[in-house]
Amino acid sequence: MGTVKIFYSNDCPMCPMAKKLQANLAEKKVNVIGYDVETADGLAEASFYSVMSLPTVVVEDGMENGIGEWRGKVPQTEEVLHIVTSL
Amino acid sequence: METTDLNLFVRTSEETISDWDRSKIVDALVRETLIDADTANAVARDAESLIRKSGIKVVTAPLIRELVNAKLIEKGLETTRRMHTRLGMPIYDVDSLILHPNKENANVPHGPEATNLTLAERIKKEYALLAVFSQDVADAHMNGDIHLHDLGFIDRPYCSGQSLEFIKKFGLNLPHSLSMAKPAKHPEVLLAHLVKFAAALQSNFAGAIGWDAVNIFFAPYLEGMSDDDVKQLAQMLIFEFSQQAVARGGQAIFTDINLYWEIPKHFENVQAIGPGGVFTGKTYGEYEKEAQRFVWKLFEVFKDGDGAGRPFFFPKPLVHITEKFFRTEGHMDFLNLICDVAADKGNTYYVFDRGDTAKISECCRLSFKLDETDLLDAQQPWRMRYCALQNVSLNLPRIGYLAKKDDTRLFHLLTERFILAVKAHKEKRAFIERLLSAGEDGPLSLLTMNRDGMPYLRMNRASHLLGMVGLNEMVQIHTGEEMHESKKALKFGLKIIAHMKLLSDKMKRQENIRLVLEQTPAESTSYRFAKLDLHHFSPASGRIVKGDVATGEVYYTNSTHLDVKVPMNPIERVTNEGLFHPLIEAGSISHIWIGEARPSKGAVADFVLKTFRYTSSDQIAFSPEFTICNTCQKTWRGLQDMCPSSSCNSLDVDGITRITGYFTKVSSWNKGKLGELKDRYRNGEYFSEQAIRKVV
Repeated sequence: MGTVKIFYSNDCPMCPMAKKLQANLAEKKVNVIGYDVETADGLAEASFYSVMSLPTVVVEDGMENGIGEWRGKVPQTEEVLHIVTSL
Repeated sequence: METTDLNLFVRTSEETISDWDRSKIVDALVRETLIDADTANAVARDAESLIRKSGIKVVTAPLIRELVNAKLIEKGLETTRRMHTRLGMPIYDVDSLILHPNKENANVPHGPEATNLTLAERIKKEYALLAVFSQDVADAHMNGDIHLHDLGFIDRPYCSGQSLEFIKKFGLNLPHSLSMAKPAKHPEVLLAHLVKFAAALQSNFAGAIGWDAVNIFFAPYLEGMSDDDVKQLAQMLIFEFSQQAVARGGQAIFTDINLYWEIPKHFENVQAIGPGGVFTGKTYGEYEKEAQRFVWKLFEVFKDGDGAGRPFFFPKPLVHITEKFFRTEGHMDFLNLICDVAADKGNTYYVFDRGDTAKISECCRLSFKLDETDLLDAQQPWRMRYCALQNVSLNLPRIGYLAKKDDTRLFHLLTERFILAVKAHKEKRAFIERLLSAGEDGPLSLLTMNRDGMPYLRMNRASHLLGMVGLNEMVQIHTGEEMHESKKALKFGLKIIAHMKLLSDKMKRQENIRLVLEQTPAESTSYRFAKLDLHHFSPASGRIVKGDVATGEVYYTNSTHLDVKVPMNPIERVTNEGLFHPLIEAGSISHIWIGEARPSKGAVADFVLKTFRYTSSDQIAFSPEFTICNTCQKTWRGLQDMCPSSSCNSLDVDGITRITGYFTKVSSWNKGKLGELKDRYRNGEYFSEQAIRKVV
């Protein structure tokens, strides 16, 4: 199974939806990690993925190859699940 | 005994020989240190007694002062001694300075003017460390925890960026100048004003002087000129700035000219100023063709090189690549021209302004990103005047040694050093504010001149730069791997810079000053830090510093760069180094060292396009190497020990390539940079067009 990485901050308008997505995916036992870009860890990871707009959602396979991404928007939980479960 | 009984003469600082007079010591102590008269008398008597016992017949004022200082120390009056201390240099050092070149800054030639500059810098540096900065800041600089850049220019801001519009609108009307000139009516006069104003600014700033959109702001003056005349003007501009070796300390003015193929959005609808300083009734958007004609000719001159075919060291042409660039007719032809120059001479800097970003670039990599209020100022471009007040760099490997692989300690030390650097900024700012407060009668009169309702130097827009040296080595010490060796190490490097970025944001709000991260060029700092750490953190540092420990040609990797000696696909280098760039607000660059290779313009253009589209790199430059023969005056590709001409074979040759962000002669480099030069991996093999297409 791949990993879903969700980047958000505390004050971006759509970020609450991204946090909700994180909760939904965790509930479905998906390997999901949230990164707050106002922390050094979060900002470093966001820099590594060249995140320029928030929220951003990145999906990677087990080899850390990118297989899906949404920049500046939040996908439906099912969209992400579809990608993750297709691995 | 009365002081006049002493058969002793004093060589005073006023170049006279006077009779001994102890009361002068007392007066100086009371005036300069505010100690009480009784203590001053006691100290003076002790010093006099020492001199009397020595039997000396003539003493110098500096010697008396030092003897008095020794007595102050004996009495435990250390603070008083600091206030009473004198600044100066041993005769041996002055002798050495006059006879040998200064290698701290490769842009300083060797000669009487340069010696004046260096001597003055030494005194001002001491003054800064004693009188401007608090002891903890000064000590941190002295022991190499941090580096306070350009201390020898303590009484000036660091660097500046502006446009031609100020002199176009107001002419050359500088405080205390012997004459004033009205706004230029002819392009040659505008050029003369530009060069003179740049020289005046050089006298008021420590470092680079950047000019925004030079080809655009010249455009209204070029209407009706033939192509040949425009080329002549381009030639004059470049030669003027490349040969300005008669200015401060014999230095060429460190000049950056920002250039555009398109008229960027923020200047498109701005009313153009033309000859005589009057509005032409047209917008700059309507001068696109003239601006393009000028920038084309400028690059033709860069392509030709100087009289011996060598690359011009200054001015540095920074071409902004924006989204609009790709929508502007003729952009591919222009891209090919500037890439031809980059491949042949290396001059071109590519500054990437993606999305709505707008910047003024200057110095080795410093740029000012324009925010909303700046963009409002763009409607009246003469108001667009920016400066950085000071640059303070952190010795990151030092923190690595001290943290002993403990994350908590590492980030704690990083924060501590950062806070100290901010303190240094506040102290320099307070000092500059004091100088500025004297207005047009003060030492920074040029910066206080008020021609448009505000001082030339807009302190509310001044930036304070926080740099870093040796991120790669810090990561290596802490994780056991250099940043190119694993994703984990690279991410750890990002975490360090992310931490610094968040700290700068926090302190910016807290202190209400513009604090921004900058990639330190570290021309001498990377050598200084490495040398100090070899001394203080041996044997660990011996395994970490780059270069050759045996010859002393040691250095740390600049700023956030990856190890220069690692053979790595240049696209991969630019991509990975580019990950750091969005965190470093005041500017970054990746260098592509190409040695003696001469890539095709197509290969370079392809590389530039890919860098713009697929990386977050802020700026790139390609750096070829040259050898010039001082005997036959020919220029050759690559660094050679002797002139390759079979009819010459002279050993009197000089190497030329980029030291940090500018070209200079290798013979003027410090030992650290020479070590780096030997290590640099040249990317020649990657620059065939097929190779570029294959790897991207």
